[in-house]
Amino acid sequence: MRPAFAATAWRVAQEEWRALRRSKVALAAALLLLVLTLAAIGVGLERAHSVEAQRARLQQQADEQWNRQPDRHPHRVVHYGHYVFRPLTALAFFDFGVAPFTGSTLYLEGHRQNSANFSDAGQSSLLLRFGQLTPAFVLQVLAPLLLLFLAFGSLARERERGQLRLLLAHGVSGGALMAGKLAAHGILVLMLAAPALAALAAIAGADPLLAAPAGWLALGYAAYLLLWSFAAVLLSALVRQARDALLFLVGAWALMAVLLPRMLPDAAAELVPRPTRIEMEAAVHAELLRIGDSHNPDDPYFSSFRDSVLKRYGVSRIEDLPVNYKGLVIEEGERLTSELFLSSMQRDFARQAAQGSLLDTAALAVPLLALRSMSAALADTDRGAHERFLLAGEDYRYRLIQSLNRLHAEKVKYHDDRAQRISADYWRALPRYQHPPAPLERTVAQRVWPALAIFAGWLAAALLAAAWTAHRLERKA
Amino acid sequence: MKSWKFELLLLLRSRPAFVALAVLALLAALAVWNGMRAVQSQRHALERIAAIQAADLGDRASRQAANGDAGLTAYYTPHLTFDPPAPLAFAAIGQRDVLPFALQVRALGLQAQLYESEALNPELAAPGHFDFAFVLVYLGPLFIIALMHDLVSGEREAGRLRLLSSLPGKRAGLWRRRVLLRLALVAAVLLLPLLAGALLSGAALGQTAMMAGATVLYIAFWCGVAAWGAAVARSAAAGAALLLAAFMLLTLVLPTAVNAALERAIPVAQGAELALAQRQAVHTAWDKPREATMQSFFRTHPEWKDTGPLPDGFHWKWYYAMQQAGDDAVAGQAALYRSALWSREKWTRNAGFLLAGVNLQVLLHRLAGTDMEARLAYLDRVSAFHERLRRHFYPYVFKEKPFGEADFARLPVYSASTADGMPPWQMGAMLAALAAAALLLGLRRAARVSG
Repeated sequence: MRPAFAATAWRVAQEEWRALRRSKVALAAALLLLVLTLAAIGVGLERAHSVEAQRARLQQQADEQWNRQPDRHPHRVVHYGHYVFRPLTALAFFDFGVAPFTGSTLYLEGHRQNSANFSDAGQSSLLLRFGQLTPAFVLQVLAPLLLLFLAFGSLARERERGQLRLLLAHGVSGGALMAGKLAAHGILVLMLAAPALAALAAIAGADPLLAAPAGWLALGYAAYLLLWSFAAVLLSALVRQARDALLFLVGAWALMAVLLPRMLPDAAAELVPRPTRIEMEAAVHAELLRIGDSHNPDDPYFSSFRDSVLKRYGVSRIEDLPVNYKGLVIEEGERLTSELFLSSMQRDFARQAAQGSLLDTAALAVPLLALRSMSAALADTDRGAHERFLLAGEDYRYRLIQSLNRLHAEKVKYHDDRAQRISADYWRALPRYQHPPAPLERTVAQRVWPALAIFAGWLAAALLAAAWTAHRLERKA
Repeated sequence: MKSWKFELLLLLRSRPAFVALAVLALLAALAVWNGMRAVQSQRHALERIAAIQAADLGDRASRQAANGDAGLTAYYTPHLTFDPPAPLAFAAIGQRDVLPFALQVRALGLQAQLYESEALNPELAAPGHFDFAFVLVYLGPLFIIALMHDLVSGEREAGRLRLLSSLPGKRAGLWRRRVLLRLALVAAVLLLPLLAGALLSGAALGQTAMMAGATVLYIAFWCGVAAWGAAVARSAAAGAALLLAAFMLLTLVLPTAVNAALERAIPVAQGAELALAQRQAVHTAWDKPREATMQSFFRTHPEWKDTGPLPDGFHWKWYYAMQQAGDDAVAGQAALYRSALWSREKWTRNAGFLLAGVNLQVLLHRLAGTDMEARLAYLDRVSAFHERLRRHFYPYVFKEKPFGEADFARLPVYSASTADGMPPWQMGAMLAALAAAALLLGLRRAARVSG
């Protein structure tokens, strides 16, 4: 870049800032955005904190109940079950993602796979559907609208007033003018986003593990906002009147930030239909009947299971087994049902993923969709995070129940099975639920890079268009 | 009359205004269609579920031994409850996507079954739905702003304002005509698809009229606000900025802030606590003297007192008494949880006294039967059905009557509510007051405009 070009562009940018400082509309928009961001950070932090405190309290309560059980028959403990509650990462304050729409309470018991219950959405009035005051909502939806007000007049107003022609006559090239305006609004929007990004930096500073996701988040939001401000400057250069630019831009905002992000998910739901919970459970139940009935002594599957057990231990009667046969049957039944639960769950995850991939495709045209998916994934509040919770919960449930069934087989005698109890120390010693950490590498590969690539593509297109528009400016001031 | 016709021609000849109205009509029609499609797919799901239920029951009946064990049958047999969409549900899908509209219950403890959630894709639910309520609440104001932000400044910038305001006595009439004309046109393009949808869905006339009325009031509110903004602003851009800031505050920021405050002020952790407490109550019964459980059951069900003492081993009557004792033990907590949910709804309505958008959402979803009130009413019906169900089984269990194949035909059957949602009249009155105030303010401010 020639030094003269850069110097001119810089002067243009400074002039633009001076003009914006004098504009009441611009000042009001900037101030509003600042207040909203600060309020959203406050509300988000407070809420994430209270959700986490409540989760910790409930989990402690559930663990205490588990430990306080008296000596029992292990199968009673299987039915007593255990509760796990989904924790949130510290970045959830920034973007609640889909977390309010997913249950965070999972009841784990034998023979059954329960749904995650008590979601915020199910317990809220319709207000929740207005959106949630998080920094993510402010930056995704509100900030673009406000920054349009800063940028819509950047070139159109100068053209209206005849200053554009004057500038060009004084030897300012169209390129330098365009570059200066883009730089002015690009830097401005980054400054406006700074409070939210600073909050991210503060969280990352407190927990080094969050530094990487916080950094990716900052990068993604910066690119997204730059895109909006470039689009606004570009359009301002293309139309004849400032008010036309404003109407176009607000229309584009209504379409890209409000209408399509709602319409497309509905379309995805229509294109990939999913059964209700009752239908999925009925399908599992039917498969189960096909395999066998552990309560029926003449059931072919379980009689061959009995024969193989007898053969393994080299005895001819189940009473002679060194282990409790009832425990073994329940253990085998649990293995079969859990396999079916898991495959039913995986099939449904696949359907949801198919719906999600339709949205991923649409994100090429609607950058907000790309940002939304990337942001929630990094904050660990997306559909993937919920699936991880359900899978980890199911895995934990299976291990817990099978450990208890093992105790049933080994510590309870076959004779007079039901009347026996074993020491509570046995299940107190079983491991507690450990929530698996967020898979950052996978998130970056599957959610972050595609979103950044989409932003980069749009930004490159915007810059190309800017170069073309710069020439056009010189011809049609 | 002539001046009205003239204004109409003037408005429709302006290409942006015509395009805006056409686009709004198209979006409203699409939203109504999409809502009807969503409701239709819920109806289809209910049909499939009913078929599954019938097949399951038939299968169980055919496998039942003549002297079948009633306790075992009650333990395993699920019974269907369902909440079909109201005729106007298409206009405001509301909470029907996140909450199950069908729930199977067994004669076991109710509190462990009542809060089952639907297997939803949260990614699709979180953005909200594209229904009539969305078009009206969010897009309606945006289109009104687009139509009206330069109402005054457009004339000023064209140099006609001085002329217009010099016509004595006609000034107020001119702005009134222009504002009301825009109000009528926006209302018309939104109401036509709504009424068509209501007609096709077979909605009641009264409910439809109330929904249409609320729609017009909300549009009037925004037309008033827009007239005020247009009159205050010196330039078209300033008018747009002012009105969009008002839009952002009234429909995006304040409702979400109120929701954040409500979640803070009225926590509903009782839901999960209730689940923990219910489990504890049911399962500790296994470690208590069984006679104590029977006695606590007899306190609420004295009619079964004299059915003889418990035998030595397991008996189903103890098992069902224990299930009910568990529900009884947490009845207080369940009531607290319900009232916390209800007070969230109540405070939302209070917020609606000041925020027109919230008010409208409450009214629409009440009329559509898709709000918290409808949800709680469904849960109450499920509870009532569950009571019928367990009381139906008690005679079999306590008198040790066998449960044969024919007994399946005598099982209680759930019947869904057909009651229409009635909106609280105070909400409607308040929306009317807000609309009247905004319109009055806007028109009076416009009348004072000078060149």
